[in-house]
Amino acid sequence: MALRMWASSTANALKLSSSASKSHLLPAFSISRCFSSVLEGLKYANSHEWVKHEGSVATIGISDHAQDHLGEVVFVELPEEKSSVSKEKNFGAVESVKATSEILSPISGEVIEVNTKLADSPGLINSSPYEEGWMIKVKPSNPAELESLMGPKEYTKFCEEEDAAH
Amino acid sequence: MRSPRTLEVWKLGTVNYLKSLKVEDKLVSDRKANRIPDTLLSLQHPPSYTLGKRRTDHNLLIPEADLKGLGAELHYTQRGGDITFHGPHQAILYPIISLRSIGIGARNYVETLERSMIEFASVYRVKARAGHKGETGVWVGDRKIGAIGVRISSGITSHGLAFNIDPDLKYFEHIVPCGIADKEVTSLRRETDTMLLHSEEMMMLCGRKILHSFWTTRRRSIKTNSPSGLTRFNPV
Repeated sequence: MALRMWASSTANALKLSSSASKSHLLPAFSISRCFSSVLEGLKYANSHEWVKHEGSVATIGISDHAQDHLGEVVFVELPEEKSSVSKEKNFGAVESVKATSEILSPISGEVIEVNTKLADSPGLINSSPYEEGWMIKVKPSNPAELESLMGPKEYTKFCEEEDAAH
Repeated sequence: MRSPRTLEVWKLGTVNYLKSLKVEDKLVSDRKANRIPDTLLSLQHPPSYTLGKRRTDHNLLIPEADLKGLGAELHYTQRGGDITFHGPHQAILYPIISLRSIGIGARNYVETLERSMIEFASVYRVKARAGHKGETGVWVGDRKIGAIGVRISSGITSHGLAFNIDPDLKYFEHIVPCGIADKEVTSLRRETDTMLLHSEEMMMLCGRKILHSFWTTRRRSIKTNSPSGLTRFNPV
C-alpha cells in the first residue's frame, strides 16, 4: 500500500516543473512519511484545499496530501450550482474508510460549476487531486481572500510540520 | 519537547442516541474553540438503528414503522459508513479529538481505532483482524465484531466505534449490516469461552484498553471522570 502511494505521488511529482527538484532534497529515512506533491501556481488553505485562480474563475479541490491522509474516497457531496460558498466554511464532504470529512472553502463566492464526474468516480480525488479530481468552480466575491492563502513552498512546509506533530 | 496532552474520559452509562448526538455536537464545537481538551465518551445506547451521510436506508430490511414494535429507534446522521445497530452490551466509544493537533488524517485515525479493537479482542484470546479494502471495521474470520463510523468536522472527530461484547444479535437480522451482505455479525460472547465480566466492568475494561492503545503511544495523560455537568447518568 505504501509503495503504491509512493509510486503515484512520484508520478504526480514528475509532471511538475520546479517542484520535482524537491524530491532529491528528501533524505531516505523520510520516505516512510507521505511524499505528497504540491503544485506550483496554486494557493493552499491550512485545511488542505487548493485554489487555481484564472481570470474570474477559481477552481477548488483538495491537495495530494489531503487525499493521501483520507484514504480511498467512496462518496463526494458537493453543493449545487448557483449556491454560495464562504471562506473557511464547509461546502461539501468526502467519505473514505467510513469517515466523512468536511471540505472547507478557501474563498467566498458563487458556485458556477460542479464536477459531476465525482458522483460516479469519487476515486478521481485520489488518482488526480489537482486535475480530474477538481470539485467546484467559483466566481470569487472577494479576490483579496486569495492573498491570505499559502503558496506552494509555504504549504509544503506546513504539511511537513503537521505530519511531524505526532 | 511537547508537553503531554490531556484526554478526558466521560463514562456516561446508557444514553439515548439523539441525546448523545447533541452532546457530541456541543463537545465538537468546544474542542474546535479549544475550550476543552481531547475528550472520549464511553457509553452504551438503547436499541437504535443509525444511518450515515449516504442515507442508505435500502439496507433497512423492515418498514420503519415496525421498529417501534422491536423497541428500537432509527436515526440519520452525518457520520461515514452504512447502516448499523447499537444496543445494550455493545461498547461505544466516541473520541472527540483534534486530528490536526496530532497531525494525522482520517485513514490513520480509523486504522488506530481498528487496531485498538483488535488488541482488546486479543485480551480474550480472540484473533480479530482489520477489514479488507472497502470493509472497514474489525472481523473475526468473516464475522464482524466491531464497527466504525466517523465524522470529521474542521479536523475534529465525532462518532467513533462500536464493539460487540454481548448485544442481542437478532437485531442485526433486520438490516444489511454496514451494507455488506452475506457476512455475519458476531460478538465477544460468541467468539470466546472465557468468562466475561459484568457488562459495566467490561465496558470499563474495553474503554480503558482502547484508549490506552490509542493514547499511550502519543505521550498523553488520561483523566477519567463522570462530570457532574451531565445529569441523568444511567449506569447499565
